[in-house]
Amino acid sequence: MRHPSSLKQEFLKKWIMGLQRCGFSSKKSMSVMERKKAIKLSADLAMASTRNGTTCWSRALIANASRNHENKILAEQILGPESQSLKKASSTMPPVICSRRIRSKKILKRSCSSHVRRVRKFALSQKVLSANSVAKRLVRKRTNILKSLVPGGEYMDDISLIEETLDYIAYLRAQVDVMRCVASATEVVDRNSD
Amino acid sequence: MNRGYIQEEMLHCTDMTVLERQRARMKWHEDQLQQGYFGGSGEFCGGGGVFQGHEGHHQVQNFQGLVGTGGGDLVLGEVVSQSVKVVDPAGLKNRWAELGRLELTDMGFESCGLVNGTSSEFEMTAGAISTTSSCPPKVVVAAAAEQKGKVSVPVGKESSKKRKADKVQHTQVVVEDEPKDKRSKLCAEDGESKITGQTSTKNTTANNNNNNRESSSDTSKENSKASEVQKPDYIHVRARRGQATDSHSLAERVRREKISERMKYLQDLVPGCNKITGKAGMLDEIINYVQSLQRQVEFLSMKLAAVNPRLDFNIEDFFGKEMFPACSTSFPTIGMSSEMTNPAYLQFNPAQVVACCGLEMGINSSDMALRRTISAPVSIPETYIDTPCFTQPPPSSTWDADLQNLLNLEFHQGRSTSFPSQPFTGSIEASNLKMEM
Repeated sequence: MRHPSSLKQEFLKKWIMGLQRCGFSSKKSMSVMERKKAIKLSADLAMASTRNGTTCWSRALIANASRNHENKILAEQILGPESQSLKKASSTMPPVICSRRIRSKKILKRSCSSHVRRVRKFALSQKVLSANSVAKRLVRKRTNILKSLVPGGEYMDDISLIEETLDYIAYLRAQVDVMRCVASATEVVDRNSD
Repeated sequence: MNRGYIQEEMLHCTDMTVLERQRARMKWHEDQLQQGYFGGSGEFCGGGGVFQGHEGHHQVQNFQGLVGTGGGDLVLGEVVSQSVKVVDPAGLKNRWAELGRLELTDMGFESCGLVNGTSSEFEMTAGAISTTSSCPPKVVVAAAAEQKGKVSVPVGKESSKKRKADKVQHTQVVVEDEPKDKRSKLCAEDGESKITGQTSTKNTTANNNNNNRESSSDTSKENSKASEVQKPDYIHVRARRGQATDSHSLAERVRREKISERMKYLQDLVPGCNKITGKAGMLDEIINYVQSLQRQVEFLSMKLAAVNPRLDFNIEDFFGKEMFPACSTSFPTIGMSSEMTNPAYLQFNPAQVVACCGLEMGINSSDMALRRTISAPVSIPETYIDTPCFTQPPPSSTWDADLQNLLNLEFHQGRSTSFPSQPFTGSIEASNLKMEM
């Protein structure tokens, strides 16, 4: 684990570079929503590239950003010269993910439907579910939610999901801190200038 | 000779970690709350991070022993006390007491070693660690017993007495052959009684010297035998009575342990997750936290977007100017003071503002510019330069160490209000307010 402050500095550096590269300051005609999207995307990508593409979540974040068509150009602009190396790192993810996603959806649907039927039968026959299975179901539900929250989490097993969540939380926290600092700094500047 | 000692110690350390693993595992089964989280070293290193921390800690102790022989006697005491301080807030709750005892015993031994002032300090520390970790001493003990013959008489007397006391207790532990979890508790008691034994042996006369030596060698032999008998038990995965032993369930158990270990780390990282037991509740808390962080990012980017028309990020303009040569000296501490902008400290608005500016200045000096081109762009940096803080490196250098410590702790504590951080934050706020003046 790196030092938090050096991490934040690197993040801020990358973020601002990304904002520069996507021509943030030149386009004065951007609407607020566009600007917000650019800021958020650049912040996310800066966070991912600060992680250097070594973890699943950062690779998935970059892959997700460049998969979406409207974001693709923006993402490439933001990533700039690093995009090649990072893309290379993350390029192993998307095709595998896509094919697996389609295949696994079918299987999932089939298995889910049969499972539901089975569960219903079970519930009808024995109305009392054991506490153990209830707890397991609760945990599974929450795990699925967590998987949807962490980028690239759908394709992780439990152990790596928790590890990635740890890492992701640390970086999110750094991101939030830096963004809050910048936001309050701009507020101060506004107050001073007014 | 030195190298031999170091190797022995290393051997011992690795051995010890296996044992530690055993003990910790027992404790997991026994009570989830008794798990300790050692943040000292590996916070995020995947595998047995807990044990790595432990091992690292003990190695550090060993190292201190080695360094102490070089000369700085006072330094040793300080370092030990520092290590106590560092480990102290690292999120240990129940394990803390035990560890504190461990360290106390270590300290005691080291101080005795200082009294001796000879090469026997090596064994002293090694022995201390071996005994406190409830590891039956094997190679090191034998070597130490041999070594004691060579050392001058008073030294040999003292140390062998201590050793004897330890060994007697160890053999008691081994012979009684109690269940493992009890044993781990016993070892803590062991550590305590060792201190008392130590102090008492200082007062005794030289008459019992030879007897002590003989008995100590005897007990060491017994110990080594016992450890040989016990050794096959120490495998990575083991099933307790009544548990399935086929490979699948063993693997499943390992997996579950891994998950619970990482959940433990998460629990320490996510604020307000400490009191929750049960995986579902913990996951709930984690989900909430991640969601809140993501929402904060959304909100902040929205806020920045709304503020932004007048905000301009401009690099090339800045590189030609080189405005803040003086800031680079005080940069690291100020940069770190931005760490204090936790939500807990948000109510201290002036402090936070200064911290933010500190961050900005830090980035300025590290050849990155976040510069605002507004109606009066030059006035802001000037006001900051006028503040006395930036021209006074000495006070900032004194904060440096504190902040380093604080930042090391930051991750473990999360945002939970914790006692050691309070004085530091207080000082930082005060200094920030000074900066404002």
